[in-house]
Amino acid sequence: MFKRYLEKPLVQNLSLLAMLGLVVYYFAFVFEFKYDFNWAVFIVEGQYGHMGKLMLNGLNLTITITLYSAAIALVLGIIFGLARLSSFKPVYYFATCYVELFRNTPLLIQLFFWYFALPYAFPEEIRFKIFEMDFEFWTATIGCGIFTGSFMAEIIRAGIQSIPKGLLEASYSSGLNFNQTLRKIILPLAFREIIPPLGSEFLNNMKNTSLAMTIGVAELCWSMQEVYSLTYHTFEAMTLATAIYSGLSLSIAGILNLTNIKLRIFPKGHKPLVRKIADIVFQPLDLLGNAMQRILWHFRKPPNASKTVSPLKRFLNISWAGLILSSKVLFVAALTFLIYKAFLAISGFNFEIIWNNLTTLLIWRFPNGDESEFFLGLGGLSGSILIAIISITGSFFIGLVVGMGRTAKNRAIRIPSTVYIEFIRGIPLILVIFWTNAVIFGIVLKIDIQTFWAGTIALTFFFAAYIAETVRGGIENIPVGQVEAAKASGLSYFQTMRKIILPQALKQMLPALVGMFIAAFKDTSLVYIIGVMELTRAAYAINNRIMIYPFEIFTTVAILYFVPSYFMSLYAKRLERKLSPENVRIEM
Amino acid sequence: MRVLKITVMVAVLALAANVAFAGPTYDRVMSTKVIKAGMSNQGIPGGFINDKNEWVGFDVDMATEIAKRLGAKLEKVVVNNNTRISFVQTDPPKVDMVLANMTHKRVRDEKIDFSITYFFDGQKFLAKKGVVKDAKDLANMKVGSMQGTTSIVNATAYLKKLGNPNPKVIGYDGEIAMFEALRSGHVQAISTDSTILLGYAAKVPGQFELVGDFISDEPYGIGLPQDDSAWRDVINFTLQDMWKDGTYMTIYNKWFGPDTPYAFPMTEKIEMWP
Repeated sequence: MFKRYLEKPLVQNLSLLAMLGLVVYYFAFVFEFKYDFNWAVFIVEGQYGHMGKLMLNGLNLTITITLYSAAIALVLGIIFGLARLSSFKPVYYFATCYVELFRNTPLLIQLFFWYFALPYAFPEEIRFKIFEMDFEFWTATIGCGIFTGSFMAEIIRAGIQSIPKGLLEASYSSGLNFNQTLRKIILPLAFREIIPPLGSEFLNNMKNTSLAMTIGVAELCWSMQEVYSLTYHTFEAMTLATAIYSGLSLSIAGILNLTNIKLRIFPKGHKPLVRKIADIVFQPLDLLGNAMQRILWHFRKPPNASKTVSPLKRFLNISWAGLILSSKVLFVAALTFLIYKAFLAISGFNFEIIWNNLTTLLIWRFPNGDESEFFLGLGGLSGSILIAIISITGSFFIGLVVGMGRTAKNRAIRIPSTVYIEFIRGIPLILVIFWTNAVIFGIVLKIDIQTFWAGTIALTFFFAAYIAETVRGGIENIPVGQVEAAKASGLSYFQTMRKIILPQALKQMLPALVGMFIAAFKDTSLVYIIGVMELTRAAYAINNRIMIYPFEIFTTVAILYFVPSYFMSLYAKRLERKLSPENVRIEM
Repeated sequence: MRVLKITVMVAVLALAANVAFAGPTYDRVMSTKVIKAGMSNQGIPGGFINDKNEWVGFDVDMATEIAKRLGAKLEKVVVNNNTRISFVQTDPPKVDMVLANMTHKRVRDEKIDFSITYFFDGQKFLAKKGVVKDAKDLANMKVGSMQGTTSIVNATAYLKKLGNPNPKVIGYDGEIAMFEALRSGHVQAISTDSTILLGYAAKVPGQFELVGDFISDEPYGIGLPQDDSAWRDVINFTLQDMWKDGTYMTIYNKWFGPDTPYAFPMTEKIEMWP
């Protein structure tokens, strides 16, 4: 009886309202913040200047970096994505190295490397010239671009490779040549496959620009920190920054959704309203495409009527082949030179420094740490791994519940779950860490907690949102027939979930979960910002002490991050191949 | 659904129960005999991690001495430029006192309390030897400073005063990043409190020099929780006792004496009450 009662939308809406009311009531009347709110800090000019303008400047810089780095990432992604498909091995290996290297090290370490170590590769005069030109800004922009580019390259490669061979064979046998096949068959299909994940990379890129703060770029996160350091209004500054980031994410997500709708194929005459809106928004692109087609039509090649080749044509053909061959040789030479240079640089390393600090990088001061430190001073690489393990374990359970909640029919469960997932996914991890550390533990709960735990909890809630999405995807991939069959045989919702859906969904999710673990491991580098002594912070502290060997230290750290991530990603790939449904044989 | 409701109720109750009772710091310290002190671990020579991975420095010694005199155990907590205020500002405070190169400013005093000045510093510029001949040269240089400090505000204002309407001042995340930027040439000068500049310059002796005059006064105070006068008195009296019996100067000379790498002559006298 109670159950049927809960199925009514009215009851669901009411309980949603009641929940909201309870939260509002609690924080408005019961809870003592002991914190004086002053939202005027952004409007009134204080002793240290106008804080609102500071935030606006930050927003401006964030958008600029986002746009530039997205363009760089797209170009790199296309070049390296295609290079990964090349049959010329040196190009393929080079592209693979790029993709694997940058995907498997944290962005923060990459930024530190570009910023602190790379300039030392140049002679002094050039170095100072580089520093003169807004070096911080360009490091951040190009660094983010290179990082995102490696993810985009992988997406583009996978998209192009996803086209079944049969289609190509069909198009060739119906008389299309390679160019036509590329234009009419491969690219349209690949685009449909590529655009949605590519879009979420643009969103991630926007969130990643917040890391530029660590090298002194005054973007939004930096401005937020500056505001609360100068005015001590932590809560206000963070709320404003969060609202701005959410707004940016929402607008990017809106554009992405429109694109996805534009790409979807609807039956003729059944265009929903959103599709009409998308059509209007993308009208200029359509017009451009049509115009291009019309212009290109005039330049089309005449059908190859004669079987003989003119001497000029033959000469052109030969020189074209020569050009390709020489560019290949040139590429190999350049690559050899690069490898030689890298080898020289590495052999010039001061290995003693690396060796002396390796234990510190691996375990920090364990077991000689202070009492105030986490677990006898454990930190470094083992600290990072520990944070990743704890947070992924925690977020798995939260993600399971929330992900199931998002697929629930009951609105009172579905809407809060959706809000949680989308909200967390819309803001940068740095902000989640700041919120957890300063506001949730500092202002709301007023618990004194070690930064290690604050960081771990922040990561837990952050990754829970992503795992929830994976869980939802897994659940929705289960054929409806199975659910209906379970219902028909009299299983309840939880029984269906436990016996039928989750076992299959979780198995399919395993590779994604391993991927998530890698992401968590890399993102532990961000808790460095609140002072947890994990690998990045340890490297930073050592660099502080030694100062003149940034190359040695940051290369070692990059390797320490790369090796576990890379091998886990190999493992994830193997799992995926093993678990993919095409390979599963149903035994009767 | 009922399960969910019960969970929510329990969570709400747990939250309500968690609003901890904030007793005055004085009472707590005296009863538990533990002092939590927030200190920097990047500010040479105030508080930093030395070659042996030990946390040492002038501020660390001062805190240790204060704790010793109060017969309490010292618990060291890392703070940075962005957290040093909020750690005593929260209620209950995360630390009982903050010794982290913190200038006593009126804006800060509105949020937390301060002890009497226990160290006199001022802001200066540090540059590679020979680069800056005259303070006016600084106007068009790219200057580094630290985010979350007033140094960055002071430096910007100073460069504006020297005649550059649009000065390039970069706010780095902490002392290390700032000094690293100077050393590698990312910026041509850095600016913050002179002892920190001295401390970092001493890491590579002979390469850097302080340039120009003090551009601001930076009287350091110990940051204390707001409205706890018993606790503030105890700290002030202890500081004055340390000055009176010479312990202060012993600690001072250990870090800033003439034959230390951070030599910084003592020119003033801390406030003494008869």
